[in-house]
Amino acid sequence: MPALLELDEVRAGYGQTSVLHGVSMSVEEGQIVSLLGANGAGKTTTLRSVTGGVHWSGDIRFSGRSLKHLSTEDVVRCGIAHVPEGRGILTELTVDENLRLGSYLRKGDVRKDYDRVFEYFPVLRERRRLSASTLSGGEQQMLAVARALLMRPRLMLLDEPSLGLAPMVVRAIFEIIRTINQADGVAVFLVEQNARLALELSSQAYVLEVGRVAVSGASSDLMGKESVRRSYLGY
Amino acid sequence: MQALIQQVISGIASGGIFASLALALVLIYNAMGLVNFAQGEMAMFATFIAFTLIDRGLSYWIAFPVTLVIAFAGGVLIQRVVIRPVERAPVLTLVIITLGMATLINGLAGFIWGYVPRSIPSPFSVGTYSVLGAVVSYQDIGVIAISAVVLLLIYLLLQRTTIGLTMRAAAHHPEASRLLGVRVSWMLALGWGLAAAVGAVSGIMVAPVLFLEPNMMQAIIVYAFAAAVLGGIESPLGAVVGGVIVGVTVNLAGALPFVGGDLELAVALAIIIAVLLVRPNGLFGRPSVRRV
Repeated sequence: MPALLELDEVRAGYGQTSVLHGVSMSVEEGQIVSLLGANGAGKTTTLRSVTGGVHWSGDIRFSGRSLKHLSTEDVVRCGIAHVPEGRGILTELTVDENLRLGSYLRKGDVRKDYDRVFEYFPVLRERRRLSASTLSGGEQQMLAVARALLMRPRLMLLDEPSLGLAPMVVRAIFEIIRTINQADGVAVFLVEQNARLALELSSQAYVLEVGRVAVSGASSDLMGKESVRRSYLGY
Repeated sequence: MQALIQQVISGIASGGIFASLALALVLIYNAMGLVNFAQGEMAMFATFIAFTLIDRGLSYWIAFPVTLVIAFAGGVLIQRVVIRPVERAPVLTLVIITLGMATLINGLAGFIWGYVPRSIPSPFSVGTYSVLGAVVSYQDIGVIAISAVVLLLIYLLLQRTTIGLTMRAAAHHPEASRLLGVRVSWMLALGWGLAAAVGAVSGIMVAPVLFLEPNMMQAIIVYAFAAAVLGGIESPLGAVVGGVIVGVTVNLAGALPFVGGDLELAVALAIIIAVLLVRPNGLFGRPSVRRV
């Protein structure tokens, strides 16, 4: 039984600059895996490789199927929801329209999913008719997660959900990520600057250092290792 | 007073024509961040197709929708064949390409149909109707009605359907839309098709007023630019409002003794300059913010 997501010696970069120098990782079905590392280590590039936002070589497989020749649209349609850096909110559209873009490819009744999303994020129900540009940073992050959830993915890629948010909002969003993972069995591949928070949430973790996997293992082990904490995680 | 009402109503009719072409410009501006200078020529070409169909014995009311379908397909084809390969090219390259297309389509129409102006029969019977004491031609009423219906249909398509939603998403946020599974490239092609069809409406509407010949749309496209700029080049609603304002203004100005028909085009250009000086984002445009 192959892992849900497997990266096999992936190299990627932008133009002449290579960012990833052969990284191998895997995310099992229903698992939360965090990807840590300093700025510029290649965390975002790793996620962007999966959804084809950057040219890569090596191999990336999603439930056994290679994503090599798939366009971004087709990767997403396989069941991967990617909440990108900067959240990817369509600010020209309303909150409701953003949510509809999450569910428009789904067949069948999606009303239950909307009910649940609004249960997680009641503020989105209140703001449904408003332009998404009027939302605060935290609300936009909620909208991004809600929209990803409406896609009913098997795997969610989250790029720094805590960026620029107040600690209380971050706690709330991480709590909901945990709930989503437990209730729906959605696997989560989480990029985070806030290492402590990410390690608490995830079961496995990888630490990137200038485009290579420096350390990997169970999150609880990484948290416990004094040397790892001090040299890579900065707390 | 009656003369004023009369001029206003006939201005609204011209406005409907300008609005359709302006809307076509806006649709493509949103899809590729650029004004399509070939829009008028594409509309002219479609009008010739409509004329040919009518000439072969098709009724006007069948030729009209058939032409729109052909124009739509033509627009999609142009996007796939000409525009898509240079999608990421610098803006200036794209400007030159649309200008080149304008010249090419103009020459092609001249090659096929010749440069002799032809008069096109109006689908509306000759006659007038009295509105508040003013005399209004059936032609004007018909043009207003058809423009209104077409613009309403486009509005409903863009605002009320899923395909319209994905088209708007693709136009404004291509990268984020891809991550939601939107086939951005095809949505842009649909935008081109839609623009070509709406533009064709303006050509077919204006042909009975002017004479049909390859240079027919060259004045109309200036009015459409004025309308699009006035409304805010990114706003479909702005294009429609701008179209009507430009239509009425130009018509009223044309009725003034010291402006007359000769200076009507100058009025449109004056509107463009005035808007760019006073309110560069137009009536409905949002100020563009760029991070440096």
